[in-house]
Amino acid sequence: MATVPAYLKKTDEPAAALPVHRPAPVRAERNPYRLRALPHEDVFFYSKKIDNSRLVREADPRGRSACWSAIGAAGLVLVLLTGVLAPSVANTLEGYKLESLRAEQRRLLNERQVLQLQEAELLRPDRLETLAKRQDLVTPATDQVVHLEEKGDGAVAMVK
Amino acid sequence: MIERRLTILAAILVLWGGAIFVKLLSLQVLHHREYVQLAHNREELDVAIPAPRGTIFDRHGQPLAMSVPTESVYVNPLKVPDLDVASTILSLALHMDRQELFGKLKWASDTQRGFLWVKRKITFEEGQSVRNLRLDWIQIQSESQRHYPNGALAAALLGSVDFEEKGNAGIERSFDSELRGKPGRVRLLTDVNRRGIDSQMEMAPHAGTPLTLTIEERLQFVAEREIATAVKAHEALSGSVVVMNPQNGEILAMASYPPYDPNDPPQPGEKSARQNHALSVPFEPGSVFKVITLSAALETTSLRPESPIDCHGGVLRLPGRVIHDSHIGMGVVPMATVLAKSSNIGAIEVGMRVGQPRMYDYVRKFGFGQKTGLELPAESGGKLRKLGQWGTTSLASISMGQEVSVTTVQLARAASVIANGGLLIKPHIIFKRGGQAVQPPVPIRIVKPETAITMRQMMEGVVLPGGTGYPRARLEGYSVGGKTGSAQIYDVASRHYTHTYNGSFMGFAPLTNPAIVVVVTLNGTHGTAGFGGQAAAPVFHAVATEALRVMDVPRDLPDQTPPPAQLAKKAEVDDLSIADIGSDQPNILEEGDEEGETAPAGPRVPNFRGMTMRAVLATAAAQGLTIVPGGSGVARMQSPPAGSLLHEGERIRVQFVR
Repeated sequence: MATVPAYLKKTDEPAAALPVHRPAPVRAERNPYRLRALPHEDVFFYSKKIDNSRLVREADPRGRSACWSAIGAAGLVLVLLTGVLAPSVANTLEGYKLESLRAEQRRLLNERQVLQLQEAELLRPDRLETLAKRQDLVTPATDQVVHLEEKGDGAVAMVK
Repeated sequence: MIERRLTILAAILVLWGGAIFVKLLSLQVLHHREYVQLAHNREELDVAIPAPRGTIFDRHGQPLAMSVPTESVYVNPLKVPDLDVASTILSLALHMDRQELFGKLKWASDTQRGFLWVKRKITFEEGQSVRNLRLDWIQIQSESQRHYPNGALAAALLGSVDFEEKGNAGIERSFDSELRGKPGRVRLLTDVNRRGIDSQMEMAPHAGTPLTLTIEERLQFVAEREIATAVKAHEALSGSVVVMNPQNGEILAMASYPPYDPNDPPQPGEKSARQNHALSVPFEPGSVFKVITLSAALETTSLRPESPIDCHGGVLRLPGRVIHDSHIGMGVVPMATVLAKSSNIGAIEVGMRVGQPRMYDYVRKFGFGQKTGLELPAESGGKLRKLGQWGTTSLASISMGQEVSVTTVQLARAASVIANGGLLIKPHIIFKRGGQAVQPPVPIRIVKPETAITMRQMMEGVVLPGGTGYPRARLEGYSVGGKTGSAQIYDVASRHYTHTYNGSFMGFAPLTNPAIVVVVTLNGTHGTAGFGGQAAAPVFHAVATEALRVMDVPRDLPDQTPPPAQLAKKAEVDDLSIADIGSDQPNILEEGDEEGETAPAGPRVPNFRGMTMRAVLATAAAQGLTIVPGGSGVARMQSPPAGSLLHEGERIRVQFVR
């Protein structure tokens, strides 16, 4: 990263050690640490190379366990939150279902009453009599009604 | 410098916290209720849970009256944005007259009314149309509507309800408090889309108590059909039929003509047309009342069915008037013949022997002059003058069924006394109340069992050859007891009896163990065809036949059909209680029974009572009589009664009991 002292040092460097007869390169070799200059600004930035290749990660069992502890704690909190919130959410969802079913029950009860009314209207005696007359059915006379005697063997009628 | 800045920061924080505290105070304390109410209004809905009016069933569970849910539309006229647009929209959705609706809305708005029913009891399609409009100023209210699925069937009995489903007649009125349910209310927690999440019952609904009547639907239908046919055929004004179980007082059918459809709201002035004629309209009973006279005689005097009664040749002179029997006058005849032939003079003779106090006592004992206590509104108790108000001829009049008014239900109860062996029962019409069977009240004995049996025997003579109810009241396969009645209708304005009649018939079957009592009354019949035996007896025949079939009552007689020639001959027989009174003497009898058939010239019937079957058959064979025996043991009943003259070919039926 370019810093102001580094910048100043770099800018002063040509004046302090200026080679006398050094042939000017056809194209100056680009300083790999010098970044592109900002346009219209006399400010130059350099990047500082940091070599971390000598650094070695040191085993840290305590840190790892702390990490796992944190993950576990987070999981536990998550489970607890889920445990606390889940019934409420489930309750709400079931509430939707319950109210929907209650409304359906009321609707079906109403529908049943309407159907019972229709059934009663279809079974009204004057309508049945009209239908019976249309099919030439008559009320049996008293001597035409024969009551079958109940038999122990389950027979409902007997031919004599 | 830093301390100063910190102080400023702290002050800002304190002010901020203070502002929050003040707001919290306002929200949670000062305006707590308002905000809670506001939240409830946004999140909760008050939903009414309708409690349907109790269903009325017949004795077999067939619904006679029931309520089904429906909806009504109302608006707050003060919140309607544009009355003109509103009336256009609503009239299209609800199929109403736009101008009329606009007038109603305008009037309600001008009078600052915050509520207006737009249309009650709308159809399902109309409800959907209004709902689809999604206009917040249109509200839909859940209601229920009363339906009578059988139309006019049992209308006079059931009554009807008004627009608020409040009973205004019949059972609907008598049991209004029980039939009417209490609607419930539930608080429904909703989401932003008004979908229900949870609900809390604030008030549980209580459905109306269902009632099961003692009415038999099929029997009711037949009774109404037959009375309607008879009223039309005889050009009568009205009519009624009561079918009753004489053993427990259950009303099996109660028909009243003219009918009406309770589904239609009553029109102005229609109240009288919606009367229950069987219960609310008393009339002079005429000859059917002779049953009471003869019962009192059997109880209080030494008269027996075979006791001779002098019918004075058809003319009886009383102080201030002369009474004639309308048919060829009879001389001395057995008391049983007085009933069978319905002799007014004979009944007066019997009544005179009973005497005023005892006659009054027995008329009261049979329940006349007082309400029966049937669970229906507007019951008439009839009219029976107090003993102190009786005139010199009141006993004679009452003995033959005049100067007294009764209802058809009262006659049915009186006939039940004879049919059940002497017990006065309270007629009732509620079979079950909310699923619980209703116990009939305990009957009261008013006549001795032997008196009732003797009366049954004599009443059978009415429907046997020679009787006024023969042959129209006879039932194939069943023995029948009955009595005809044909009373002239008294015109109060002219103070004369007119030539219109109350034709009636009361009877029961089978004779040995009656299962039904049927009473038929036609009011305002004309001519001889309007007499009880002509007009009412056929209705009795049809209704009783159907009742016995429906109730599965075993036959007690072999089927036999009278010869057609005999039928034609007997068709002219009837009784008549005529009282063409002078203008200054109302309710005085002048004439008696109608002229009937020629007197039978056959042998007299012996008295078989107490004899064994062998002895009966031997006695009958010796005299060349034909016996139709029934049962076993000793002879207890016979028909025709002892002492009466037999018709040619007529057989004597004798019932033996161990």
